[in-house]
Amino acid sequence: MKSPMDLLQAKGVSRRDFVKLMAATTAALGLPLTMQPKVAEAVENAMKKPPVIWLEGQDCAGCSESTLASLNPSAEQLILDMISLRYHETVMAATGDVAKKAFEDTYNEGNYVLIVEGSIPKADDRYCVIGGTPFRQHVMEAASKASAIVAIGACATYGGVVRTTPSQGMGVSEFVKDKPVINLPLCPVKPTTLFGTLVYYLTYKSAPPMDKYNRPLAFFGDLMHDNCPRRGHFDTSEFLQDWNDPSQKEWCLLLKGCKGPQTYSDCGQVWWNDNTSYCIQAGSPCAGCSQPEFYDGFSPLYQKQEGFNTPGINPDTVGKVIGGAAALGVVAHLGAKAINSGKGDDKNKGKGVSK
Amino acid sequence: MAQKIVIDPLTRIEGHLRIEVEVENGVVKDARSAGMMFRGIEPLMTGRDPRDASYVTERICGVCAGSHGWASSIALDGAFGVNLPPGGRIIRNLILGAQWLHDHPLHFYHLSALDYLDVMAVAKYKGNDVGLNAVKAKIMALVNAGDTAPLTPRYKPDEFSVNDPELVTMAVSHYLQALDMQAKAKKMSAIFAGKQPHQSSIVVGGVTMLPTMGDVDKYASMLEEQIDFIENVYLKDVVTFGTGPLLPLATAGVGGGNGNYMSYGGFEVDNSGSLFFQPGIVMNNDFANPQKIDASKITEDVKWSWYKSASHLQPMVGQTVADVDKAAAYTFLKAPRYNGQAMEVGPMARMLIEGNETLMGLVKKYNIKPGAVARHAARAIECAKLAVAMRGWVDDLKSEMGKGLRIHDTDHWEPPTTGEGVAMIEAPRGSLGHWISIKDQKTANYQMVVPSTWNFSPMDDKDQRGPVEFALIGTPVPDPENPTNVARVVRSYDPCISCAVHLIEPKTNKILKFQIG
Repeated sequence: MKSPMDLLQAKGVSRRDFVKLMAATTAALGLPLTMQPKVAEAVENAMKKPPVIWLEGQDCAGCSESTLASLNPSAEQLILDMISLRYHETVMAATGDVAKKAFEDTYNEGNYVLIVEGSIPKADDRYCVIGGTPFRQHVMEAASKASAIVAIGACATYGGVVRTTPSQGMGVSEFVKDKPVINLPLCPVKPTTLFGTLVYYLTYKSAPPMDKYNRPLAFFGDLMHDNCPRRGHFDTSEFLQDWNDPSQKEWCLLLKGCKGPQTYSDCGQVWWNDNTSYCIQAGSPCAGCSQPEFYDGFSPLYQKQEGFNTPGINPDTVGKVIGGAAALGVVAHLGAKAINSGKGDDKNKGKGVSK
Repeated sequence: MAQKIVIDPLTRIEGHLRIEVEVENGVVKDARSAGMMFRGIEPLMTGRDPRDASYVTERICGVCAGSHGWASSIALDGAFGVNLPPGGRIIRNLILGAQWLHDHPLHFYHLSALDYLDVMAVAKYKGNDVGLNAVKAKIMALVNAGDTAPLTPRYKPDEFSVNDPELVTMAVSHYLQALDMQAKAKKMSAIFAGKQPHQSSIVVGGVTMLPTMGDVDKYASMLEEQIDFIENVYLKDVVTFGTGPLLPLATAGVGGGNGNYMSYGGFEVDNSGSLFFQPGIVMNNDFANPQKIDASKITEDVKWSWYKSASHLQPMVGQTVADVDKAAAYTFLKAPRYNGQAMEVGPMARMLIEGNETLMGLVKKYNIKPGAVARHAARAIECAKLAVAMRGWVDDLKSEMGKGLRIHDTDHWEPPTTGEGVAMIEAPRGSLGHWISIKDQKTANYQMVVPSTWNFSPMDDKDQRGPVEFALIGTPVPDPENPTNVARVVRSYDPCISCAVHLIEPKTNKILKFQIG
């Protein structure tokens, strides 16, 4: 009898590739590395690469580009080893009618993973038409026979930047009501969250534990502000005002508009582009792109957030505390910690501290 | 009798594009290019903090990521009265430069190569190269498992498809290598950018990332890896294929345009405003008499577009109100024209306008005509040229660090009461313009005219075809079931349709500041 690994090798996956992939994805999933053999075993047992339909609507291809920016696991491992990418307009060889047929064949087969990138125009179906059919219809049809639905990026989850435009771009769960949609926000999607979710699904055949906005807790369970590498400077009220000043380089970005105190994401721990950096590391304020409020609810992006009522912080006094009033920061720290203490309670997750 | 062929969705591009061609006696007689998606980004910015514009417009495209944020920041710099410090200028260039190094090879290998390769020819590879045999084993394992997605299904290989096992196996191995290199180029950009796509570092006034010497050294060493790949793999492949198996396509000039080329110029390389890419206009293939750009000659027509607002207006006074019920219209793209003429923008336009010696050498030696193959060559040539120039930009940054690096004009961070700004720059796909006007410290109006709107524009008010529509005329389509040549011509322009479609609101204010950068 053939071992599972033999069968995987027959699928074009080498043992070395596989072990590397599993190590990276176990880490991406936020699971302890001791879980790796179990994850590997489960995926080996699953053996068959899951068919994937990846639809793009009112998108910018940024989520596709972000996924392809992954180096560990690599884009090659994703598209050739991990999944069977049957339909993806930016990557697939097929075009025109041949592409349409690839979609239909996979649809008829059923039981594929549906990944959606980009929003669906609520104002008028005609604002996004592919192959003569409105994008909304593509999504509804593909969703009906999907075994799992994953919405990636700010647009496909909650509408993102497009929600406030005249086309009124909305997320998938605004339209697909009869099945759970796993939401992986951020603008664009962070590849570790997509790989982690796919591996979790392959391993357990179910969606990972999620918050009330259907975001996996493994990636969106913690407040950015609580885990911010600059948190110490917030606590001592050191706020960056001049990007040229080396002494201010690591200071808190609150006065530059940072939305970290209202944003749930693991960006501070799992950096972007192969752990190279992330917005705050580059001195840019967090724009809150993992939140349903993004973008409209967080504009203006570069002004100290009004109505920012983390306990202990008074937005009217924050601007005056440069160089002093350390006690204010300490109080704020304690307040935010108290809020985060309900860590095990899913219902409290994702609420943010703002509303 | 003419036969109508519709390619929709036209894949392996950015955005949603529909191409319709009429074929008679195996040749395209008429063509229509249609953008099929509309978001409406500009009105979103009206009435908001102007600084949001660089963040929001960045989201127009995730492929030429950085280009819109950069253009927007340049327009904002003008409106805010910013004195951009050298460090800010250089770091912006390095963020964008790395993105270009990701973008051009990705276009060749991942978006275009599958039009030219009979991938399954790897099965016949008989050589002894260890690496190529590993590629063969990888592909054959997929074949034997009965699942070769996303490499199949595809159009049937045709007379121009490369099926030499050695060449194809090498190209497939480079396809896989290029997947890694494009990810590394984005990583390189992210050192200064925070993340890619959708960098956060470029804002009005400069950049937010104050680098250490360690950051710069990391970038520099990654740049060397990119240069090695671009010179020894990418450029070499393009020349090997373009002057080898694809030479018949190249000398026939399949996909040749109307002979009008435009570049706004781009990448300020010193504090006096010198540009890495030269600005200029060439009309009707008259390369001996390049003209200076005159922004007042740019107009946009909407006779064939789903907009009901007035037509043939300059962008600065342009209007756009969507009307999906407009019967005669066929696209969400407008028709920008320069002095009434359709213009090709992008790498071939840039290299022809500067009279690039490498390109001209190839053109003369092999008798290549402007067309699909020449566009790929121009793209690879400018990519190599840019990569090498970036070494000097790294040195410039190090020299600024020795003098006390300044990356941001802190004095001009708060929005002015009123102001106006323009950016006319070059993005990987061609000439990109952003216009902003500010009133009461808020954005009063914002608009853009982007590369793919130029290239993929529909007919104008005088019913003159857009550049791609024109270029498709005469394209051979021997088998209507497999219109591969049509896809080859369209993809050679590297379409970015998300960029090309957007809503522009009425604007009446005059542009006061004009900046090319």
